[in-house]
Amino acid sequence: MELKDKLRILADSAKYDASCSSSGSNRQNKYGMGNTSISGICHSFSSDGRCISLLKILMSNCCIFNCKYCLNRRSNNIQRATFTPEEVCEITLNFYRRNYIEGLFLSSGIIKDADYTMKLLIETISLLRFKYHFNGYIHAKAIPGAKEDLVKKLGSLVDRMSANIELPTKEGLKLLAPNKKEDNVTQIMQYVKEKRNRNFVPAGQSTQMIIGGTNETDLNIMEKSFSLYQNYHLKRVFYSAYIPVNKDRLLPSLVKPPLKRENRLYQADWLLRYYNLKVSDILDEAKPNFNLLIDPKADYALRHLEEYPKEINKVNYYELLKVPGIGVTSAKRIIQSRKVFKLNFDDLKRMGVVMKRAKYFITCDNKFLINKDMLKKEFIEANLVLDNKPIIEENIGKQLSLFG
Amino acid sequence: MDRVYVYQEGFLNLLTLLKYLIANKIKPFNIKEENYEASLLEEVVDLRLSLNKNILEEIKNKLGVNVLKILYYVYLSNDNNKELIMYYFYLNALKYPDTITLRRDLKCVREALKLEKYVGSEAHKLKGFVRFKELNNKVLYAKIKATNNCLEILANHFKRRLKEEYWIIHDEARHIMAIYDKKDYYIIDDNLLKMEDNKLSKDKYEDLWLTFFKTIAIKERENKTVQRNFMPKKYWENIIEVREEK
Repeated sequence: MELKDKLRILADSAKYDASCSSSGSNRQNKYGMGNTSISGICHSFSSDGRCISLLKILMSNCCIFNCKYCLNRRSNNIQRATFTPEEVCEITLNFYRRNYIEGLFLSSGIIKDADYTMKLLIETISLLRFKYHFNGYIHAKAIPGAKEDLVKKLGSLVDRMSANIELPTKEGLKLLAPNKKEDNVTQIMQYVKEKRNRNFVPAGQSTQMIIGGTNETDLNIMEKSFSLYQNYHLKRVFYSAYIPVNKDRLLPSLVKPPLKRENRLYQADWLLRYYNLKVSDILDEAKPNFNLLIDPKADYALRHLEEYPKEINKVNYYELLKVPGIGVTSAKRIIQSRKVFKLNFDDLKRMGVVMKRAKYFITCDNKFLINKDMLKKEFIEANLVLDNKPIIEENIGKQLSLFG
Repeated sequence: MDRVYVYQEGFLNLLTLLKYLIANKIKPFNIKEENYEASLLEEVVDLRLSLNKNILEEIKNKLGVNVLKILYYVYLSNDNNKELIMYYFYLNALKYPDTITLRRDLKCVREALKLEKYVGSEAHKLKGFVRFKELNNKVLYAKIKATNNCLEILANHFKRRLKEEYWIIHDEARHIMAIYDKKDYYIIDDNLLKMEDNKLSKDKYEDLWLTFFKTIAIKERENKTVQRNFMPKKYWENIIEVREEK
């Protein structure tokens, strides 16, 4: 088989993995080729709008597992291919020196068993690091169930290592991926958490969950993420809207992947990690799913109107962050600048605050930007939704298609 | 008459002039590079100052490395008013040395920070979008058309990254190129080195990259608006995987 065909098959099999980040590592180029950039670099954007930073491929798409949702499952009749370690090096190095990529993201189907597959990944990445002196970014998937010393070895070669939790609950995993065990995945996470330092997985670990393949609520998903961040200090949890690649009576027959829901999950994920909100602030048993029309922060604000308005010249950083239209950057700017001069509404606009959203929730020097008698929940909610054109267009489309 | 002060090309010459104007309490109508064509109402003043070699150290010690970086990035921008923005930013930095970057109530600070960010983010994007071709003699060659003058920032980046390669980055918008000889890079006028197109032969890895690029997209998620937002069309002519689509 030609190298080009292998690349096509093994990139196609790898494309559903969401992670492509290349940040968080500061590997220097002593001699040889490449270094890493602490902020990460995107090299291209594919027609689905996703960033391409790493050469994302599988070592092999041969797999002994039969996970229902996966394109590469044993029972699928698809073209199979396996790279040799030298082939992976050849493509990586030649792409890297032409500046197509920031590095390599190497994963694999399970060939024979976990240890065998893991050894193949280690052999390949060792070649890159030691024979070719490659210092670019490498993200490898650890194979759940592999021996600890293999996990240790792989972790010492890469910038990021991850193991996918795949589904938000054990029940979901049992139903759709009967060969996989959550404990094997969390074992790897625990190990990486304990051992992580500047020579072992310096850019940390991440994981991924499929959304909409099973019937978990958004609350289940967020609770799972929260516990993963807490227990294993993950850098990121990625959410991947379920795309039906296989037919199976256990799988939902979606027409379109739930992209809006995925978007809401990422927004809420940010609220947990950077905005100091708790899952219970965003969702609860009475309201276990996101409002698809309004983002989670605005939704929180509308349900807690008694906490608003916030006085820009007084409230602390975390209170500022609770204002829709104020993000991490603008909140930091406000905190720093207001020590030097008193802020007015014009200053806020210049600092990057989205005033059309923030204006309902703030005062500057005790002044409102709009008539405060208008500040009723229904009024604000209607305005926030109406200001969001893409949401309106999407929903008008749906309405029309009912009659079409 | 409105006085326009001119400087010889180069960051250090400009800083030398700015410092002189500030120290002598001269308020310029404008500041421009020396080949400036003045209008009828303007008077060009060329002070012919001798270069102050310590000026970088002076600014760094007095105002901090961040202020120096902001001045440099504004200098690299393509903004028509960049010299005046630098003048007022420098002036105010001397007045408020500790808080200057927080003074967003001052127009010159807002403008300077905006340009700094603009240049920084364009350079960051180009670190990803530069596409090298391998010439027959193994030299890597890339063309860019940058809005701001990012070449030096890029050269510094690739000097560390592709240390064991010979490479050339050619900014066609400014007719300059950075040439790296495995030790250091030099920035030269592009007419000093003629690139012949026939040296750019077809390359197996370009073909593999196009295959990868096409395959990695998930068609159920197609979203070309987002693609364009992150990768503006103005760069596409030099990005091989999207050049055809342009």
